[in-house]
Amino acid sequence: MRRLVVVRLSTRSGAQLVTAADVRDSDPGDGRISAPRAARATAWTAGAPARQTPSLPALAADREHAAPDWSEVVEHFREGLVVCDARGVVRHVSPVAERLLPEVAPGELLAAAGIAALADGAEFTHHGRRLRARRVPLSAARCCWYVEDVTESVTRADALLAERARSAFLAVVGEKLGNPLHPDRAAAAVVRLAVPTLAEVAVLVLAPRSGRARWWRAARSDDDAPVVDSGVLPAVDLPAAIVEGLDGVEPHTLDWLVEQAVEAGWLPGLTAAESCARVVPLPGRDAPAGVLLTARRVDRWYDEADVELVRAFAARAGAALTTALLYRDQAEVADTLQASLVPVEPAEATGVQWGTAYRPAQAGLRIGGDFYGSHRLVDGGSVFFLGDVSGKGVEAAVFTGQLRQCLQALHRVESQPGRLLKLLNDALLETSQAQGQGRFATMVLGVVRAHREGGLTLTMAGGGHLPPLVLRGSGEVEPVPLSGMLVGVVPDPRIGEVTVRLEPGETCLLYSDGVTEARGGRRGNEQFGTERLVHAVGGCQRMPAPALAERVEQVTCDWLAHGDHDDIAVLALRATGPVERTPRHLHAVPDATGAAELRGTRP
Amino acid sequence: MTAAPTAGGIPAGVWPAYLDCLQDADEYAAVEVAVGLLEAGVPAERVLLDLVAPAQAEVGERWARNEWSVAQEHAATHISERVVAAVAGYANPRPTRGRVVVACMDGEWHALPPRLVAEVLRLRGWQVTFLGASVPAPHLVSYLHRHDAHAVALACALPMRLPHAHRMIEACRRVDVPVVVGGRGFGVDGRWARRLGVAWASGAPSAADLIADERALRRVPPAELSHLADDEYTSLLKRRGELIDGALAELRERDPGTRDYTPSQLDSTVSDLGYIVDFLAAALYVDDGALFTEFVDWLVEILTSRGVPAATVGSTLEHYGRVLRDFPRATRFLGAARSSVVAAGGVRPR
Repeated sequence: MRRLVVVRLSTRSGAQLVTAADVRDSDPGDGRISAPRAARATAWTAGAPARQTPSLPALAADREHAAPDWSEVVEHFREGLVVCDARGVVRHVSPVAERLLPEVAPGELLAAAGIAALADGAEFTHHGRRLRARRVPLSAARCCWYVEDVTESVTRADALLAERARSAFLAVVGEKLGNPLHPDRAAAAVVRLAVPTLAEVAVLVLAPRSGRARWWRAARSDDDAPVVDSGVLPAVDLPAAIVEGLDGVEPHTLDWLVEQAVEAGWLPGLTAAESCARVVPLPGRDAPAGVLLTARRVDRWYDEADVELVRAFAARAGAALTTALLYRDQAEVADTLQASLVPVEPAEATGVQWGTAYRPAQAGLRIGGDFYGSHRLVDGGSVFFLGDVSGKGVEAAVFTGQLRQCLQALHRVESQPGRLLKLLNDALLETSQAQGQGRFATMVLGVVRAHREGGLTLTMAGGGHLPPLVLRGSGEVEPVPLSGMLVGVVPDPRIGEVTVRLEPGETCLLYSDGVTEARGGRRGNEQFGTERLVHAVGGCQRMPAPALAERVEQVTCDWLAHGDHDDIAVLALRATGPVERTPRHLHAVPDATGAAELRGTRP
Repeated sequence: MTAAPTAGGIPAGVWPAYLDCLQDADEYAAVEVAVGLLEAGVPAERVLLDLVAPAQAEVGERWARNEWSVAQEHAATHISERVVAAVAGYANPRPTRGRVVVACMDGEWHALPPRLVAEVLRLRGWQVTFLGASVPAPHLVSYLHRHDAHAVALACALPMRLPHAHRMIEACRRVDVPVVVGGRGFGVDGRWARRLGVAWASGAPSAADLIADERALRRVPPAELSHLADDEYTSLLKRRGELIDGALAELRERDPGTRDYTPSQLDSTVSDLGYIVDFLAAALYVDDGALFTEFVDWLVEILTSRGVPAATVGSTLEHYGRVLRDFPRATRFLGAARSSVVAAGGVRPR
């Protein structure tokens, strides 16, 4: 039987037999006959004809020659033999069988030996050894029991399987904790992963901050997913073993801790008498990031290999927590800096409905080289602008910040768009020459003023930017003739100026080249172009400004079809006029006027 | 609005009045209708789910029937969003539970349904962050790094985006935040969500129930995507441009009238040809030919309502079938969709 297994495996997997089945089946276990095994392995792998059944030669054929004494040969089998007659009386017990089954005596019934577990194909523990038995019928209704001691091969196979389980566990842990997580997520993931492999209950205590320690706990449940909860403890209330662990020492005497922890309700479902626990520090940058308490029933005592596993887990958990904290801190800094560079939504202005869209090239970053904004003027009008600085990413965003700050200050001294743009040009030129970084920008800068009888007048100055579009009440789209030179390059640039009148419901659209130069189409290399933009906004005269800006963003992104793109910015100004009621802050609780009454006033 | 609201429901007269507001793109009138209901005691959740949501569905229907232009549809959607904001502002619930992030998949612009989910969650005490339309995966992930979230709710209205949706779901998984998805993009019964191994909710209330049950969120059977091993999906994507070019050339050959298309007509033809490829790719991704057939049926309906004969779609499918004869699954899906077009050929357009 054993041979058969080896044959099958060797033909399937070549010369190397490395499966657990092999470990269990081919090792003699007691080490008595290792040489024959090697010889046999060589024979099979050399391609010797495989006999399917280990049949003995016919006993009758060559009896008068030097026939082997079969009983002598049989004595050296690794399996013990017990031969019984038709009535079940033991007739022969080989020395190996005598050793393994001392109760079995020749001349007595086998059943009288009282080995209940002895059955064909059974594997059972007897006198501390793991035995495997099989029963083979012989002639004249006799039978032979083959009994093998598999204690050590089983132990080795179990050890191998346990080792594999540990590796698989650590692989899962590595995968789950390998990505940077939010610190709270990382903490929850650590305790969740520890159950049930390492513990019935796992408690993670983070290093205290300002005298308070946050903790997470996972407890095994009937379901496959453990129950996770968390909370905060004053650092002074932490048990001594935990404090030791936070100092980087792995505490050794833990009985007291188990009792304390059970009493304090830390370990639901476990009792002090039946539990064992380990405490390991989770390595941090200098001091431990926290400690992990693992507890389970004493029948799964933490042996040396288990403790190793807990430590290996703790190392990964510590790294994950440390990374998470570092990442969070850096993300917070980046977030704060980004927030100061993100375009500010235009300030509310009489008669103007603003619409904006902004999509930076780097999606993970919320900032880029496009900018827009507005400032209210004392006379009731507003300065508005949209532009694009040279370069991309963070550096470009920082430059847009400088530019916006310049405008913020300059619009207080000059509100005529052409002159304001020239002032800005001089200021930028000075800064970029001082810093030796040839940065420049293109932009449209305008001033909008509302008419009492409805409609808007826009006076715009062009600094080398794409000319705006005007969406008329008829649904037609007109490009605004606006030219000019780049801002921040030469001392006295030529700056174009134009005045546009918007009737109520008409919209002026400013956009960056991220829209018209978006590459997409059939092959992904065709530019979106002004034609398509004009077509996309044509006929949209009834759209509110925010919807129109979003529409431009959407058609551009659809054209891109997930392709890379430049920064995209859109600013739309729609003349609201007297026919539409003045905007009301929609989050305010409405006044007591009934809706039915108001509906009657709807134009 | 003289009729008193029926218990928890929307009175009969309100519905046509509200649709008129959308039709006229009258933001303030629409807001007043909704706020009027709230003042009359209709719960905010009912206003959102029984007035705003079905009205928006009606907007989509009117666009599909070519009664409304895209511009009208966009304007109406914008108004619905303002109404949602007003209802949310009126109810102004105080958050008592954890944070939930709601977003549209990258490339997905149907922001109103997830917005409604966001507001229903807010009404049920969650602290909700709504990231808006077409959220790029890196943006979402970096948000989740900075702010711990109890769960992420992702919306997808078009099955065409399923492969991208899957990537986004995986990105959230990697930061260990449970995901619940919703929207027609996952099939009416959520079967493509099951294929991608992600929890699915049929609507805002069921999304809220699912999010409240963290163990259910985490108890999701794994994705069944072993069919991707045949590489048909990736190979199809690589040949996208070639397929569209070929289909366009073949269309011009067969129907000389198409040679005189204006640039914008040509653009929409190219994008329709592209949608067919993208839906086929999505069908291959989740290994469900019904996804493709459903889309083709819908496309035929849309095109016939705009005067384009169904036969055009049929012969494009034939063309793709010829080019993709080495793709057994794609061939099967194209064949099934073609039979469906043939069956629909006798039906007069609405």
